[in-house]
This record gives sequence, structure tokens and C-alpha cells, in this order.
Amino acid sequence: MIAEKTTMIDVTMNRDVLVVGCGAPGVQAAAVLADRGYNVVLAHGGSDEKIPASGVEIMSGTRVEKLAGVAGDYRICLATGDKFVERTFGAIVVAPTYGLEPLNLAYDLTLDDRVVTMTQMEAKLKDPAFTEDLKKGDGKVVAFLSGFGQEGDPAATRRVLEAALAVQNLGASSAYIYANNVKVGGPGLERLFTQGRHQGVVCFKPLEKPVIDQGETLNITINDPVVRGDLVLEPDYIVVEEKMVVGQKNLDLAATLRIDTDLEGLLPSNNVHRFPVRSNREGIFVASQPVDGANVVLRVEDLLGEGVVTVAKERAVVDDSKCVICLTCYRCCPHGAIFWENGVAVISPVACQGCGICASECPMDAIQIGEFTDASLKADIDEAVASAQKAPTPSVVAFCCENSAFEAGQAVKALGADLPEGFRMIQVPCAGKVDVEFIMRAFVEGADGVMVAACHEGNCKAERGNTFAGWRVAEVQRRLEAMGLNKDRLIFTTIASNMAEEFSVKVQKFIEKL
Amino acid sequence: MNSQTGKVMVVGGGIAGLTAAWELARKNIGVELVEKSCFLGGHSIGYTCKATEMCQKCGACSVEKMLKDVIAEPLINVHLRTEVKALDRSDRYRITLAKSDGEAADGKILKGFSRHNTPLFVIGENVTEAAPPGAMKIQDMGSECELDVDAVILATGFSPFDASLKSTYGYGKWENVITGLEFEHIERENAGIVRPSDGKSPKRVAFIQCVGSRDERLGHLWCSEVCCAYALRMAGTIRHQDPEAEVSVFYIDVQNVGKEFPVFYAKIKENVRFVRTIPVDIYPVENDCLKLRHMAEDQGTPTFEEFDLVVLSIGIMPGADTKIISEIFDVPMTVDGFLDESVGNGIFVAGTASGPGTIAASMAKAGKAAFDAVKYLGGAK
Repeated sequence: MIAEKTTMIDVTMNRDVLVVGCGAPGVQAAAVLADRGYNVVLAHGGSDEKIPASGVEIMSGTRVEKLAGVAGDYRICLATGDKFVERTFGAIVVAPTYGLEPLNLAYDLTLDDRVVTMTQMEAKLKDPAFTEDLKKGDGKVVAFLSGFGQEGDPAATRRVLEAALAVQNLGASSAYIYANNVKVGGPGLERLFTQGRHQGVVCFKPLEKPVIDQGETLNITINDPVVRGDLVLEPDYIVVEEKMVVGQKNLDLAATLRIDTDLEGLLPSNNVHRFPVRSNREGIFVASQPVDGANVVLRVEDLLGEGVVTVAKERAVVDDSKCVICLTCYRCCPHGAIFWENGVAVISPVACQGCGICASECPMDAIQIGEFTDASLKADIDEAVASAQKAPTPSVVAFCCENSAFEAGQAVKALGADLPEGFRMIQVPCAGKVDVEFIMRAFVEGADGVMVAACHEGNCKAERGNTFAGWRVAEVQRRLEAMGLNKDRLIFTTIASNMAEEFSVKVQKFIEKL
Repeated sequence: MNSQTGKVMVVGGGIAGLTAAWELARKNIGVELVEKSCFLGGHSIGYTCKATEMCQKCGACSVEKMLKDVIAEPLINVHLRTEVKALDRSDRYRITLAKSDGEAADGKILKGFSRHNTPLFVIGENVTEAAPPGAMKIQDMGSECELDVDAVILATGFSPFDASLKSTYGYGKWENVITGLEFEHIERENAGIVRPSDGKSPKRVAFIQCVGSRDERLGHLWCSEVCCAYALRMAGTIRHQDPEAEVSVFYIDVQNVGKEFPVFYAKIKENVRFVRTIPVDIYPVENDCLKLRHMAEDQGTPTFEEFDLVVLSIGIMPGADTKIISEIFDVPMTVDGFLDESVGNGIFVAGTASGPGTIAASMAKAGKAAFDAVKYLGGAK
């Protein structure tokens, strides 16, 4: 049930923007934002190099030491050497750059004059002395290793293909590529790969990693699946692939900003709700792909453009008299929206996404979500059970996340399929708002079954709301068993917003079991 | 800051067009969203969720969400079953719209994939059955008018490869040879994968990659960038639904599937067999099963294997209207036949109209196109 009255308030937003790091899309966003009248500071850890962003205040050799506050009012301590400054920003743009590490050890190789990294080969190919040498006489043989030290990606493939083609075009020199999966999933790469083959670049795809002897002469042996025999090559140069490394600095930054990374430590996290540049925190954006610069500008202007945002005052409210500052809400908030003021927890209406995880976890029941207060949800439960019991089929109450299951359930009805008569949905902002108490109440009121329907793991808009819901369901199942009741009267399930038929099948199956 | 006005036409109502329209509306810019079919959402609104226990980040649910947001947006004016006929650039951009008759609906009631499709049901000509509530007659749909706008975003999308062109696979002849796109629809409509011939869950499934992509004979020198992504995710859902099902993927090179690929790939390899070869042909055998012939890489001899269902991972081809759109808007085509996105001058390209890409990539490109259009409008004043 959506609360009847919502008081809106205006919150003033600081219009200064901090860009952290000098990744190209972030630098581009910095320049555009400065051009549009924002005060932009670009802080990066590098030396005083030229960064192409006019109107932007550049702070080199600088890192983010501390961060407090929320979107519109981030208070940041920037450290340059042993000098610290406190600044306030409305939004933060992370523009990560990653390092490269040669994977020679994966091939049991030592780097020397003949065994070089991809970066070194690219430099050599720009050196006239080297290219002239490759043009002479019979030329040289250059072998590239790709995809046996790591899975690889299109960016790495592009470098190999371009360098191989360059070698192939130098006199009688020839290029050989030893590849696992050729990652051509990027613009123009298949065409480049084909062009290389037509010009004589040979690509071997052995099933096993090549065996390389780094002796007097270099020696690469593979068992070729096409000719079904050993193939030996004696190249003049071996070029070793490189792996992108995240580095401690990027991980530290993510930890300081309290934003999630993906499994490999890359930003942003791999959650579809964040596509393409959002993080789990309002007002912190990530620019890592070329088109991200534009998308970051759109989001920053959305948030800060007017200098004021209008938000629901009671999105989430802490009862001062109940809060004992136990830090539970601070720890479980996936959006970093909760902070401390005058001895009580405060929830920023700008940063809060209204998921309600904090309200359900608060041991003092001190937090209410404006649109989904405990009182209104309890009324929903009572009403749902009472009306469901009038139906001839078992009465089932389903707590449905409005981002997924509730959408799917409404789609079932709209598309003309039937849900059982005794089935009732209760809309919740996130499965993380489903309290143990709510589930118990549904049973006490007389529901035959209770369903908690959440987003799939990794798809929760509040990152962990579904995890909390899963734990609470398990807890209630234990209690049901302890009371001598059938724990299967309660289930936890996951469903996507676009899967009406699957939702309908899941409901039917549950009801058949009851 | 958001006092900017102006009007932009977005051509194409798939995920790229929807995203571009929504971003423009966020900037307080009026949008004329033109879609030639009877429904918004494009191909991707019909895609299935590919989650196992875990979300596999296919983005299908993002399309549902974007459609919901777009139809709630008063600044976006939608023209369904409408196409662009002409452009006059003498002053602003005067665009002539006409009804599109591209949708074959004779005797049929068409249904949208999402509850956010308005209308959800469209009644074709010569339909005698009773109409569902809220249904609209196809004759009553479509705009015929001239509109003046300040910029245009072309988000005309792609055409799925016509699998019957690879005739040895028997697509269109053998019922249980289906395309990846059909897999999307079947799984979504049946809450699980079933065979077209008998509605039963297949126990042995083959995916054939690069059907229409990376094919020099066809002159298709591009990777479609999405087929490994959907096929591997589908392989995962089959195994999730039925841990005893055997799934094989026939491939040239496995392409990355979004972020966190090494982790995803390692997990999928535990459950799915990968065979590095592109099969030669497919024959029907008894029980509607299929015999697939391929040259096994490690044996070098022809090998025959039987499957209950074969999925052809068809790729992303230039949209059927690309040539016409290119002529009307004077936007050149790339060597591969997609729209060249680098043109500018008030005409911008978003999504797969300019080349293959995932839902996530189309959304990001659409954001960029909207950004460019806003910038153009600002500069024009």
C-alpha cells in the first residue's frame, strides 16, 4: 500500500564535481562539465602530466584519503603528499586506469632482447631502426602469444592483430599468432583478423599451451590439430601477452568511496541496474568505457543540474527516541545513505533508495520507510489474508519485490493468464523489506502459504536485499518446524520482471504442494 | 539548467530508441518516437531471463524497465506502426511520416511481449474472434503527418540473420532446428525450454555458433558480439532446469560475455561441452531428433551425433531498412552495411543500427547519442 501523503522537500545540491583518476572517458566528462559551468577538480595519482581538460582544476599526485556525506554534499579529504585538504562536492566521477603486467611466467619465459612484452613490441614498431631491420633481406619471424596466460579480451586481440599486420608488412618478415580463443567481439576486429590472414599472418590455435624453448635459438612447439602433428617454429622474437591489473590503488579507492566492484575488482559492479555508469551510491559514477563520458555527464546533470533536488522527506525516517546508534543500519545500507548527526542515525532522502533493508534489520524498530510503513504493510497483510480466505483455493500471500516479482505478477494478469483465486500479492520496495514479523503475521492471520519473491542473486537493485530475505525465510522455516508446522508452507523464490509465465508456474506449483 | 527545449525525433523503438528518448525527456526535450511495428521494445523486449540461481546479466529485464519508464513519460509522443517517408532539411528537419504496413497481421491478433505495451493486443484485418479488452484495430494505428524537429536519432536496430540461408542446417525444414531468437521466445512463453515438435524438454541440445557471422563466403566479416553471450547463458539455463540435460556448443572462438567473463566461462565449462568446429550439416532422424555431422578437431574424421534440439546462434545483420534510412537521412553506410555513427550534424545513430552490440552496449550508445543531440540543440540556439 502506498502511503496517502508524501511531503516533498527541496535539498540544495553542491554543484562541484570531483573526478578521480585520469581514464580518458572521465577526463572527457570533466572537460564537458567544466565547459557547462560546473567547478570540476580532477585528482589523480600520477605526475604533473598534461591532461586535456581546460577549465578543470588538476591535482596530480593526489589520492582520496577520506569520504563522508552523501550525494549533493560529499565531504572529501584529498591528500597530496603529506598535505591534506578538505573539499565538498556534489558528485564524484571515478575514471579508473589499470596497469598492464606481462604474462611471460605463464609461458615459462624470461623477458630479454628476443622475448618482449606487447608494449615493448609496439614501441619497437615505432622505432625506425627496428622496422628497417625487419625490412632487410629475408626479414624476421615474430611470434605472438595470446590467450594461454589469460582468457583475453577484444582490446588485447586488437593490439596483437595490429602489431602482427605491421610486422607482416615489413619486407619479407612474417608474423605468427598462437591464440586460444581469438577475441574478435569488437568493432572491425573480424575484418582485421581476415585481412591479416589474407596478407600472410599465420594463426595457430593449438589445444594446449605452446611449449617454448628459450635457448640459443627460440623454439615454439605445438601439436597442431589441423595437420595432426608437431609444428616447430624458430622465431626471432616472441611477443608475450599482457594482463590488465586492477591494482591496490583502485581497490583502496573503491573501499574509501564504499562502492562495489565486480568479481575481478573492476568498476563499476556487474549489476544490470547500474548500466552503464551508476554505482551503488547515488552521486558516484564510473566512467570506464569510451561512451561513458557522455553518460556520466547526463547523470551528473540529472542530479546537480538544477542545484536543488525535490525528494520525499519521509523516504526513510529514524525515530530519535528509539535509535541507540548500534550501527546496524549503517552497515547494512547498500547505498551508503546513512550517517550520524547529533547522536542519532540520519538517512539522507537524496541518497536513500527506499529499499527498506535498514528498517527490517534495525533491532529497535526505529526506522520507517515512508511509502511502506510497518503499519501499512501489516494492514496489507491482514486484508490480503482475509480476502484470500474467501476463495475456494488455498490462501497464499506473496511478498513481491516491486522491481521484479510484483511486475511479473501484474504481467500475468495483464496478459490474460490466471492466478489462483486465493493468491494475493503484497508489494514491497525490495525483498529486503520483508520482516520475519510480517511473514509470521501472515501465518497467524491464517494464510495457508507464504511466498517471498525476490530478484535473482546479483540482480537486486539494493545489492543484498534478496540475500537478507533468503536468510529471514530460512529463520521462519526453522521456527515453523520448531512449532511442529510444515516448513514448506513458506518458500523463497526468485523471478525476473519480464517472466510472467514462469511466475504463474511457480505459484501453481507452490499451491499444488500445499 | 533543464529549461532547454526543442524537439528530437527518435526513429526506432527498441532498447536504443527507448533509452535515447528517455534521456532526452530527462533533459526536458520533447521526443517524437517513431516505431514501424505495432509495439515498442524491439527485439529485446521478447528476450527471456537467463538467470539460474543467479542473474546472468543479460539485461532483458532492463528493457522491461526502460519501456515502463518511457510510457510514463509525458514528453515522449509515440507513433506506432509508423515509418519515415521523407526528410526536408531546408529549415529545421521536416519529416513526413506514413503508416507502415510491415507487420503481417491479416487474420491474426498480435500480442505485445510486455504488459507495458499499449495497446497490448492489436487486431489484424479480417479477424472474426472476439477482441481482448483494450485491443486496438491495426487499421486505426499509424501516423500520417509532417513533423518539424531539431535533431534526429536513428535507432533502427538490426535484422536477425535468416538461418535458412545456411541451407545444410535444415532450418525451416526440421522443426527442432530453431534459432537463438526463437529460443528466447519459447523459453519465455513456456517457463522453460521445450521442443517445437512435441513440447517436451530436450535432453540433448546443440548450439551452433557463428550462424551468419564471421562468414567470409557471405561477406559477413564481423562478429555479432551477442551470440556467444546468449548461447552460453541459454546453455546454463538448460542445465539449471535439467541437470541431466547434455549441452554441446560448436564454436570457432568463444567470445567474452560481458564483465566477469573468466569466472562465468570457468563455471559454464563444468556443465557444458565445447567442441571447436562448425558442423557441416544436419539430418532428421526418428523421434524428431537430429543427426549432426561435424569434423571433430581431435579426430580429424567426420563424426555423427544425435540431438533432440539444435539451436542456431544467428547473428546481428544490418536492419532491413538501413539502405532506405541511409538515403532519406543522408547518412552513409559502413563497409559492413550498418549506419555510420560518426556523421553528426543533427543526425545521430544509436544502438545496433551502427553495428552489433548487447543490450547494455545499446543503452550506453543511446545515452551518447542523446548527449550529442542535446549538445547539438544547445549549439544551434
